[in-house]
Amino acid sequence: MRLRLALALIALASPVSAQTPAARLSGRVPAAAMPAIDSIIATAVVESLPTEPLVQKALEGSAKNVPPDRLVSGVRGTLVQLRAARMIVAQAMPGQPIQEGHVAAVAAALARGLPAPIVERLLTVAPHEPPGPALHAAADMIAHHFDPDSAVDLLVEAHSKGLRGMRLLDVAVAADHELQRGGGRTPSEALAHVRAMLPNVPATESGPTGAAVTRHGTKGS
Amino acid sequence: MVNDGTPDVEVVARVLGGDGEAFGILIRRYEPGLLRFATRMLGNPDAAADAVAESLVRAYRHLAQCRDPARLRSWLYRITGNRCRSHLARRHTTDIPLSEAPATALADGTDAWAALERREQVALVERALVALPAEKREAFVLKHVEGMSYEEMAAVTGARIPTLKMRVHRAREALLEALEEAYDESN
Amino acid sequence: MSPIDPRLQEALDGERDPGTLPADLRDAYERLTGAARLLAGTPRLSVAARVMAEIRQTTRSEPAENTLRRALRWLGRPRAVTVRLRPVWTLALAAGLTAILLLPFQVGSLPTPGEAEGVAQFVGHFPGARSVEVVGSFNDWSRGMLHLNDDDGDGIWHGAAVLPAGQHEYMFVVDGERWVPDPLAGRYVDDGFGAGHQNSLLIVRPTATER
Repeated sequence: MRLRLALALIALASPVSAQTPAARLSGRVPAAAMPAIDSIIATAVVESLPTEPLVQKALEGSAKNVPPDRLVSGVRGTLVQLRAARMIVAQAMPGQPIQEGHVAAVAAALARGLPAPIVERLLTVAPHEPPGPALHAAADMIAHHFDPDSAVDLLVEAHSKGLRGMRLLDVAVAADHELQRGGGRTPSEALAHVRAMLPNVPATESGPTGAAVTRHGTKGS
Repeated sequence: MVNDGTPDVEVVARVLGGDGEAFGILIRRYEPGLLRFATRMLGNPDAAADAVAESLVRAYRHLAQCRDPARLRSWLYRITGNRCRSHLARRHTTDIPLSEAPATALADGTDAWAALERREQVALVERALVALPAEKREAFVLKHVEGMSYEEMAAVTGARIPTLKMRVHRAREALLEALEEAYDESN
Repeated sequence: MSPIDPRLQEALDGERDPGTLPADLRDAYERLTGAARLLAGTPRLSVAARVMAEIRQTTRSEPAENTLRRALRWLGRPRAVTVRLRPVWTLALAAGLTAILLLPFQVGSLPTPGEAEGVAQFVGHFPGARSVEVVGSFNDWSRGMLHLNDDDGDGIWHGAAVLPAGQHEYMFVVDGERWVPDPLAGRYVDDGFGAGHQNSLLIVRPTATER
């Protein structure tokens, strides 16, 4: 009964698009920061940039009690990243309509430190697919010290052999796994091993959904 | 090292044979050294504990792939070294954001001044160590803190022996210089 | 950085008797070996219990089951917290709802993830903490939506949520005031507020994954 009530109430929840950014920020963002954030969001609307990352950044900073000047600066930084992302998407897919989802995913990849040429190359390979998983897979591999170009070569090859979406993340996991194996492998050896398995890289084992998320052993107080 | 008389090879065989609890023997045997190594690499005991815990779980899951159980120690250090490098690459800050890190209590004991002095010395050496690039830091710690031979260091890091010697030599030079500067400043 | 005398390097490599070094090199030898001794203290830490707990869980989860069944079993463990989240700003009715959501569900009543959703687990080790919650982009960075549980008091806090597939940033909030990233999240991103702090990043796979 309790669950039925809970789910029923959830079903009443309105979708994101039904709320304006101002309504979502109202009462949560400090008054001192509100005019500047409103203005940044208005700019994003004019420039056809997604506003959700800006709203999220404002809510995040407010929740963390970041001082208003740094809060505004953080939201502005997100706007700058979105602009850069839009430019990259436009360059990678000339003549095609720019999708907000692509721009947001590319901005997130840039925030993780993925170099623009790598992003552009991955977008070009699969222009009609959501780019998030491939970009994260590349960012994961670079974070694990794989050569960026070699990492992208592997992802491109995986894509050409039929791996799509979240399965590309399995390629990054497999590469890390090969690197950590006993006996010692260099990054290039690890990539070669994964290349030889394609497209049959193992599905990520941990996590209840086969890789949703599993967290262990976070530091304590 | 905990030595209950059972060679690593036999313990590994027990674990692979389904006796998961036997892995505890290996943890007790190698945990102190791995924690020390990771703490020196990451400069933060909490992060080191996380890296070692991750490494040991990974080692358990992939124990069958340990090609030479007689050299288990090198294999465990290798996995831990890789985890430390990943942590260093991914984390620009090692401390807890938005909160004050708790002060570390001084050791109890009657000779509090000696403890303080020693603590200051340790802090000085730690600062000098953490200023080294990760590869040199790793080489110095494996050689002089963990007491490994260059051959074992090669098995742990995957680097060639001449490269490791060079890293150790450079680390010594940098450390000596930092220690001498600190010594000069305090006199 | 000036090169140090090869004789000192040889002594430190065990290839020369340090007693044969001239006095200045012997001082340097003592200084370096003394530094190494200071670094040789073993931290008063142990991860043995934590590692063995995880190993036992791994062992129990074998043999392989289908992913949803594993999710259901994990989530159905006694008193694990399971919450279906929606952006907080939508929940004008939330005052009463939150209390209901935070009560434990049984396996049979687990919200089944939709095709574009997945199950996210959160586990953290916070010995001595009074409360731990997860705050992130999936709940509009709002407090009070996803609390973790530590019913047996072993310091290991856990919980789970059905989340939209895709990228989410998050942090743990311990005791209502301490914001802590998940050091083992595997992915991090600068939070952009100029102090060098990082959010943890998770990528949720849809239950109906493309395999």
